[in-house]
Amino acid sequence: MSTQAPILATEKLGVRYGSFLALSDVTLSIKSNTIHSVIGPNGAGKTTLFHALTGRVRASSGRITLNGQDITHVSDDKRVPLGIARSFQVTSLFQNLSVRENLRLAAQGRTPLQALAPWRGVDPRSQALAVADEVMERLELTHVSDRAAGELSHGQQRRLEVGMAVAAKPRLILLDEPTSGMGIDDVEAMKALIRDLGRDHTVLFIEHNMGIVMNISDTVTVMRAGRVLVEGPPAVVRDDPEVRRAYLGNMITGDLA
Amino acid sequence: MNRASLHFLLAALVAIALPLFMRSGTLASEVLIFAMAAAACNLLLGYTGLLSFGQGIFFGLGSYAAGLTLLHTSLPLGVALVLAAIAGAVVATGVGWLSIRRQGVYFVMLTLAFSQFFYFLAYTFKDITGGDNGLLNIPRPAIGPFSLGDSWAYYAFVAMLFLIVFAALQRVASSTFGCTLLAVRDNEERARAIGFPVRNFKITAFAISGAVTGLAGALHALLIGVAPLSNIEYHMSESILIMTIIGGSGNLFASVLGAGFYVIVSDLLSSIWPRWLLLLGGLLIVVALFMQKGLWGLIERLVVALPMGRRSAIKSPIESPIQPESEGRGI
Ligand SMILES: Nc1ncnc2c1ncn2[C@@H]1O[C@H](COP(=O)(O)OP(=O)(O)O)[C@@H](O)[C@H]1O
Ligand SMILES: [Mg+2]
Repeated sequence: MSTQAPILATEKLGVRYGSFLALSDVTLSIKSNTIHSVIGPNGAGKTTLFHALTGRVRASSGRITLNGQDITHVSDDKRVPLGIARSFQVTSLFQNLSVRENLRLAAQGRTPLQALAPWRGVDPRSQALAVADEVMERLELTHVSDRAAGELSHGQQRRLEVGMAVAAKPRLILLDEPTSGMGIDDVEAMKALIRDLGRDHTVLFIEHNMGIVMNISDTVTVMRAGRVLVEGPPAVVRDDPEVRRAYLGNMITGDLA
Repeated sequence: MNRASLHFLLAALVAIALPLFMRSGTLASEVLIFAMAAAACNLLLGYTGLLSFGQGIFFGLGSYAAGLTLLHTSLPLGVALVLAAIAGAVVATGVGWLSIRRQGVYFVMLTLAFSQFFYFLAYTFKDITGGDNGLLNIPRPAIGPFSLGDSWAYYAFVAMLFLIVFAALQRVASSTFGCTLLAVRDNEERARAIGFPVRNFKITAFAISGAVTGLAGALHALLIGVAPLSNIEYHMSESILIMTIIGGSGNLFASVLGAGFYVIVSDLLSSIWPRWLLLLGGLLIVVALFMQKGLWGLIERLVVALPMGRRSAIKSPIESPIQPESEGRGI
């Protein structure tokens, strides 16, 4: 795997919020078909990195390339058809719409111009609906298919949040703390799901649960104060003295697979 | 029967019932004309979440476009109406394109500013618009063998157009486009994150709303034979918004109710008491405080309260999740 060209790369990426430098000189390389995790203390700039990669915030310096193509100045909605989709740390769903409709929209988002035709009805045999049904099955949401997203339990909402990214069938899927606030059973299921997603997607995910990170990642990037501190396979990161000193301490409890 | 057909049937019933209960064909026509304008406003307010004070611009421009065409050319009525709709759509596209660059309060302020701008434009170019006096003596030519001179004949013509427009707007609202508008209204950030170019959707909604409002403005000018300055005034935007809000922004038929209520009650009250607008203001306060789903919401509650109606409780698409299948879809 290590010989493969990266699907996504950043070069000295920087993001400013006003005068505050939230991200600086981040150079990353995400290899195709790997599971890559990003860890670091709160405020390290992990979410900001995701925002920059998906185009939600503009890079103030540096470059982002997807499969060799420079996408630094491509707007967020146009990055979805290129194969990037994400979930949010703070759940962001269509609260008043049904679970199925949420996922149908997420699947439709890859070919958004089809939806710009005001005379075209929602085809019940459409591919987007088929994808929505498939994702509901995969995330065990089929039984709440017709419920409004806002009425779901927290765990279900977090699963749907991840489902929104899955439904876009992206090549690169970005998950921002997919297990945050989940119960233990849900966390295990999410871990299995992420590992499973790694089979047909490249997965980049932010996670605080070291059990998951150390267990399923191919590569771990440690961030602190807007910069990359260390990067490497879980075993290396885990034993890196600087990482231990700077952030992890004895937080690493998960077993290595 | 699905909800769309039910609402269309209700709209058709209104169009048939108005002549039975009203003495004036002019007033009845006015109800349906404003029903179109309110439904178009609802596409922006209820479906896209855009509170536009620009509707009067499109209405007024429609009036002028039709009036000018019929006064200065010998083009048929149909062409004048199409031109009015195009004028509405084009200007709405421009106003929308600029206004949606800002969100929330600033968006509303921009539409208000445009509303003032176009009013002064109409006021300033007196040679074209007639200024304060309006564009007078607009003819109402016959369509083929059908004369529209009689007020009820004109009503029949308006009613036909109303039903066509209503069905078209229903189609728009239930299309993938309309479903995406609902998503934009619900969570714009997420809509963009999953790949929808939200701006293009909003601009398209503006264009459609502008076309229908322009058509309504044209029909209004033909109705009274004048394209008055008041049709492009800020107050027109306000009236159309009030109709939409009183009716309820959940579905298109609610706008028909809102327009009917506003036009008929205004007519009744204004003949009894010159300060009737006070009452309307009071009613608006009641709606804003206690019945945010408008008249439609009130009827919904009554239907549910009836023992028979319990099973067929009608829900609007916005409080209830829409199903993508044709059965049970909102609107
Ligand atoms: N919209 C914003 N405006 C200003 N500062 C922000 C904004 N978003 C995040 N920050 C700041 O940027 C830093 C990085 O935040 P974030 O990327 O959310 O970190 P993490 O996800 O690693 O916890 C924090 O100090 C945070 O306060
Ligand atoms: Mg974060």
